[in-house]
Amino acid sequence: MAGDLNAETAAYAPQGDDVSCGVGDHGGAMEATGDVRAEFWQDIPDAPDDAELNELRKLLLRREQIALEKLVRQEGEKNYHIQQVSDVIAEAIIARSGRDSQLRMAIEPIVDATLKNSIRKRQQDFVNVLFPLMGPTIRKSIAESFRSMLGAFSKSVEMAFSWKGLRWRFDAWRTGQSFNEIVMLHSLVYRVERVFFIHGDTGLVLAHMEGEGVGSLDAEMVSAMLTAIQDFVRDCFAKGDEGALDTLRMGEFSIFIEKSNKAYLACIVRGTPHDSFRTHLRETLELMLVEFAEDLDDFSGDTEAFSATERYLESCLVAHYAGDNEKKLPLWAKFMPVLVVLLLCGGTGYYWYTTDRFNTTMREAVQTLRLEPGLVVSHVERQKSGPWKVLALKDALARLPEDVLRRAGFDPSLFEIQTIPYLSYDASIVTKRASTGIDVPDGVEMTFDKGTLSFRGTATMAWILETREKARSLAGVEHVDMRDLRDPRMGEIAEMVRKIESVRVEFPVNKDVPVPEDTEKLQKTVDMLAVLEKRVKEMGMVMTLTIYGHADATGTEKRNYEISQARARTVAAMLYARGSSMPIAMYGMGADHASGDGGAGSASADRKAGGSVQADRRIEFRVYLARAVPAGTEALLQ
Amino acid sequence: MISKKICLLGAFSVGKTSLVEQFVHSIFSDKYLTTLGVKISKKDVAVDSVAVTLVLWDMEGKDTYADVNLAYLRGAMGYLVVVDGMRKETLQAAMDLHHLAEKLSGKSLPFYFLINKADLVDQWEVTDAMLDSLDKKSIKFFRTSAKTGQYVNEAFNALARDMLLASRA
Repeated sequence: MAGDLNAETAAYAPQGDDVSCGVGDHGGAMEATGDVRAEFWQDIPDAPDDAELNELRKLLLRREQIALEKLVRQEGEKNYHIQQVSDVIAEAIIARSGRDSQLRMAIEPIVDATLKNSIRKRQQDFVNVLFPLMGPTIRKSIAESFRSMLGAFSKSVEMAFSWKGLRWRFDAWRTGQSFNEIVMLHSLVYRVERVFFIHGDTGLVLAHMEGEGVGSLDAEMVSAMLTAIQDFVRDCFAKGDEGALDTLRMGEFSIFIEKSNKAYLACIVRGTPHDSFRTHLRETLELMLVEFAEDLDDFSGDTEAFSATERYLESCLVAHYAGDNEKKLPLWAKFMPVLVVLLLCGGTGYYWYTTDRFNTTMREAVQTLRLEPGLVVSHVERQKSGPWKVLALKDALARLPEDVLRRAGFDPSLFEIQTIPYLSYDASIVTKRASTGIDVPDGVEMTFDKGTLSFRGTATMAWILETREKARSLAGVEHVDMRDLRDPRMGEIAEMVRKIESVRVEFPVNKDVPVPEDTEKLQKTVDMLAVLEKRVKEMGMVMTLTIYGHADATGTEKRNYEISQARARTVAAMLYARGSSMPIAMYGMGADHASGDGGAGSASADRKAGGSVQADRRIEFRVYLARAVPAGTEALLQ
Repeated sequence: MISKKICLLGAFSVGKTSLVEQFVHSIFSDKYLTTLGVKISKKDVAVDSVAVTLVLWDMEGKDTYADVNLAYLRGAMGYLVVVDGMRKETLQAAMDLHHLAEKLSGKSLPFYFLINKADLVDQWEVTDAMLDSLDKKSIKFFRTSAKTGQYVNEAFNALARDMLLASRA
């Protein structure tokens, strides 16, 4: 061990003088570090206190002792200085920072490097620390962006369809301004268009900012003038007053001034800002005054340092639009105007469509009534609500108007129909009338055309005669055509009538009894008349017989009338005697008179042709057929 | 960017406004002079390729400087005092205004005297002797003419240079 120590001390030998020197220099400090040395020797055992030994020790180990003492002293000094510096370091830093910026400059690179190193090494720790601070700010910023975007969208939707929006569009069209300008003018409550940060004493602009779309202005001159105006106002009207001009107004513009003794903020505002804006201005100015205190104090015209005020100025460029604070409407309410417009359009369209359809339907229904035979629509009254009123003439045989409508598919309840009776000459109605009034039997065809009612086929004579009368009395029937109508039994009767009417029964001179050769002929004729009467009766008809009596030219005229009358009477008596009940007319025609229709030939003519005058003494028959009077109505004929 | 506030001082009708009108840019009408007592103008100059904006406060000239709105002098970084060479009393007014400005600012600001109407120098009442005495008082001056533009720009440039030097010192 000793050998090692010797070798080390030998190596230090050339520095011995320096060491001695050093000891002397720090003599003062030695005293103060005495207790440190005592501490140093604490655990080292004391050497034997012997004078000779001490002498020897001095001789042998003097250099080592000195070196050792020096080491001990250095250690003590270091601790002493640490103690001393630690007592004053905080105060020293504060004092030096106040004096100049050298300390800051000295520390800055170290702090920077340490910080960077630290962030690099412990990134996650920093993230964990910073996130709670920055997270909400970032979220807020993003939310704000979204809100303003949505706001702009909903505003434009709102504007596009609202009544106000339409009115503004009209204004825009009328004034020639763009719609956006009109919207801005109407909805703008206030907008800070410019903000100036102005040095108090010099009136020089330190920084300024303009809102979007605001034209540029000579900031230097404006800020100087603003300062001049403030000075002017204060000096003229408020001498010695501590107050300051804080607002200037001109029309819709106002200048908001927030002042401190070093600098002030001036905002050019369009509209009237909220009170909170003034507060914001004051707070902003205070922050700026703190941050730029030194720059403001040292200001000598260089505005470079104040470019950092941008973020403060930006915060002052606010705009507030009408409706920004209004209660937010739910989405459906925003689209309500659109819905209303759509519903109105649809409703109106539907109304037009249905009304048109309804009117068309009604007109069609009326037209149907007009086309109906036996109906004449004389008046139609359209009601605003309720059924339409229709006034019509109606033939008794026409269909009911309600039935007509119903059959045509219309709702009769939509009409209130009043009818007035009348007689229709419409062909179909006349036909109907004929069908109703005339009982047409099988075998008879009835047609009506152009006022003529025609029959064809076979029927009894009685029906034919009855129908002829009826048909002529039908309204709308101008002619009755029965030429093609036949009674099959009429042939037999006609033959009998022809035979009877051709019979000539002759009488002797001045006698009312027929000559014997004609008695049988007369008898046969009377039989035939009886058969005829029976046949006629069977057909529902009645017959009338007329007997004409004639005399020859001899004798007096008076006698001739008497004898001719007597001859007719004789034959009538013969008929009655045989049970005939038909009416018989008897006429005494006197001498040389032909019978009424001359149907039986002329006795006089025969005589002139060389015939006997016997032929003038005769009787002739004429038969008339007629419809039987219905039973029980005979009295009416009398 | 560097801006400097300078004041234009001088007695009534010495031609301050003419100087300003000819050589500086203003957006405000002369009416401000009589209403506010000051008119703001601007002049951009370059000193050793450093752009400096001079914001000129053209103060209303009055016969008695007592009426000058001293508030406008506050914060000035330099000033020009205009003298009408044809009226020697304006030189005295200029001196008074100069002293007033010095007193008000509490320090020595860069300044120049502009002895105006140099185009009519033969009619000057301000004599060379008077100007010599200015020299003795270390008052620098330019003989300017608002009409011909003589030394006007030089005066503005010189003042700008002095102000820059003063702020760097």
